[in-house]
Amino acid sequence: MVLVLALGDLHIPHRAADLPTKFKSMLVPGKIQHIICTGNLCIKEVHDYLKSLCPDLHITRGEYDEDARYPETKTLTIGQFRLGLCHGHQVVPWGDLDSLAMLQRQLDVDILVTGHTHQFKAYKHEGGVVINPGSATGAYSSITYDVNPSFVLMDIDGLRVVVYVYELIDGEVKVDKIDFKKTATVQTPH
Amino acid sequence: MGKKPVPDWLNSSLWSSSASDDRVSRYATCPSPDTRRHDSPPRPPPPRPPSPPPPPASESGSSGKDPGPASLSPDEASRQSQLIMEISKKFINVGELQRLVCQGVPDGTEIRSTIWKLLLRYLPYDRALWVHELNKKRSQYKAFKDELLLNPSEITRRMDKSEAVKSEDVNCKGSGLLPRSEITHGEHPLSLGSTSVWNQFFQDTEIIEQIDRDVKRTHPGMPFFSDDSSFAKSNQEALRHILIVFAKLNPGIRYVQGMNEVLAPLFYVFRNDPDENNAANAEADTFFCFVELLSGFRDNFCKQLDNSVVGIRATITKLSQLLKKHDEELWRHLEITTKVNPQFYAFRWITLLLTQEFNFADCLHIWDNLLSDPEGPQETLLRICCAMLILVRRRLLAGDFTSNLKLLQHYPTTNISHLLHVANKLRGSLPS
Repeated sequence: MVLVLALGDLHIPHRAADLPTKFKSMLVPGKIQHIICTGNLCIKEVHDYLKSLCPDLHITRGEYDEDARYPETKTLTIGQFRLGLCHGHQVVPWGDLDSLAMLQRQLDVDILVTGHTHQFKAYKHEGGVVINPGSATGAYSSITYDVNPSFVLMDIDGLRVVVYVYELIDGEVKVDKIDFKKTATVQTPH
Repeated sequence: MGKKPVPDWLNSSLWSSSASDDRVSRYATCPSPDTRRHDSPPRPPPPRPPSPPPPPASESGSSGKDPGPASLSPDEASRQSQLIMEISKKFINVGELQRLVCQGVPDGTEIRSTIWKLLLRYLPYDRALWVHELNKKRSQYKAFKDELLLNPSEITRRMDKSEAVKSEDVNCKGSGLLPRSEITHGEHPLSLGSTSVWNQFFQDTEIIEQIDRDVKRTHPGMPFFSDDSSFAKSNQEALRHILIVFAKLNPGIRYVQGMNEVLAPLFYVFRNDPDENNAANAEADTFFCFVELLSGFRDNFCKQLDNSVVGIRATITKLSQLLKKHDEELWRHLEITTKVNPQFYAFRWITLLLTQEFNFADCLHIWDNLLSDPEGPQETLLRICCAMLILVRRRLLAGDFTSNLKLLQHYPTTNISHLLHVANKLRGSLPS
């Protein structure tokens, strides 16, 4: 039972001042085992804050990040799942499923987490699952001003993942979930 | 007010606390308690040897290994056969059993497990009911574990199933948006609600961490508990489960440091039961016996009751009074002259039921006595503590605060039968 927080596109301080208070009150240290961040934090203070929530922090570089040392993509294995992380501005057209599927095949991961569009999405295709946690602060994106703050918490338990989606709609936190299972990897001789 | 004279038997050279065993004292009998004689035939008195027989193998095994079997002297062998006879009867005469156990359960026998279960009222006295009772209790424990040891992911999965939430098969081929579904009962991992399973889980983690740490530290010298073998690991797992289930079922006292020490001898004895079925179910049996044993001593662990009439301070005062009654000179010297507050040493003696003061094998002997005495474990414990003080009186009377405290906090190895005999002599009602 591993809890993984996925968020990104905070754009602090350029486009937003801080995470919504209701989100901040829920995010307390000690509950989450890993944090994966798609990028565009943008400053070190946000990095430190996320580090205080959980010491295991993974970040990829967004185009507005001030720290140039974050990698472009990252892969990690948690439990039975391989996760891939990328900000998403590199993948053109932005938010296009087929292009993201190409990236997923390239990284060879089960779950690909990208951002940049500031809209929550969860796609499924033959290669696996693509999750976009949206913008945790509700910052405006290159495409639209109408953004609801959102982030994603994944509960990885064996071959099953429960994805809890937290969205702030009209000042209230709404939680939904998505359930999916991975078929156990079968080694078939070609 | 004249000083009460020290009783003659106290001044006898028998009570030297050196480890050289005085074999004669081992065969003194304990007074017969009120025996509820049912229809059992009159028993022959235990044969007493005319002269001290050759000393049997040392009962107090070294602390570096598990206590191993010892060769029995003729007297012990007869006691063992009597005990076996007693517990094999159809209706067990508990008074008789108590009397026999008071004299000591010989080491190397494997009947201790059954005896303790009988004394702790886990097994009924009617032999015919044993199988039924055991099965009932064991399945009850299993139900506890199933209910209480789940992590929240599994709990929410069960909730989903019971709510018959439609879970589409998202394994199927094809692409597209993944369907979002509602969460059941507002349960999500970051929930801050007090009734939320997740929130309760995170609140419990602190206690579970504490239990983990203590279990890992239990008896580091004994391979039974702290080896690298899978056997030791499974034993630690069992201890852990028992303590977690106990903490969850008793929100009043939860887990207090030291409960693992009280649990360890029970589990050790039950796990080493020669009957395979019993040994496999040791965890369930230990849980119920632990609950029973702790029921008398619960108040010692409850912080709020510390200063009340039933709390640990009151118990320590009782010990003090007992010492004053039996050996006023020592009492005066200890508490008034050298100002050794009994809380400094007696706290650990009483709350941990003397498990930390003696090596493991001696501890099992003391517990034999504790569990079988008809006066009840609390009173017996106080008498034994008082006896411990009296046995080292010479050194205490000669010492000052530092040396006395050091002596009492690292109590020297003694002959346990000695100790129990002295404790016996201190019987008599305590002025309330």
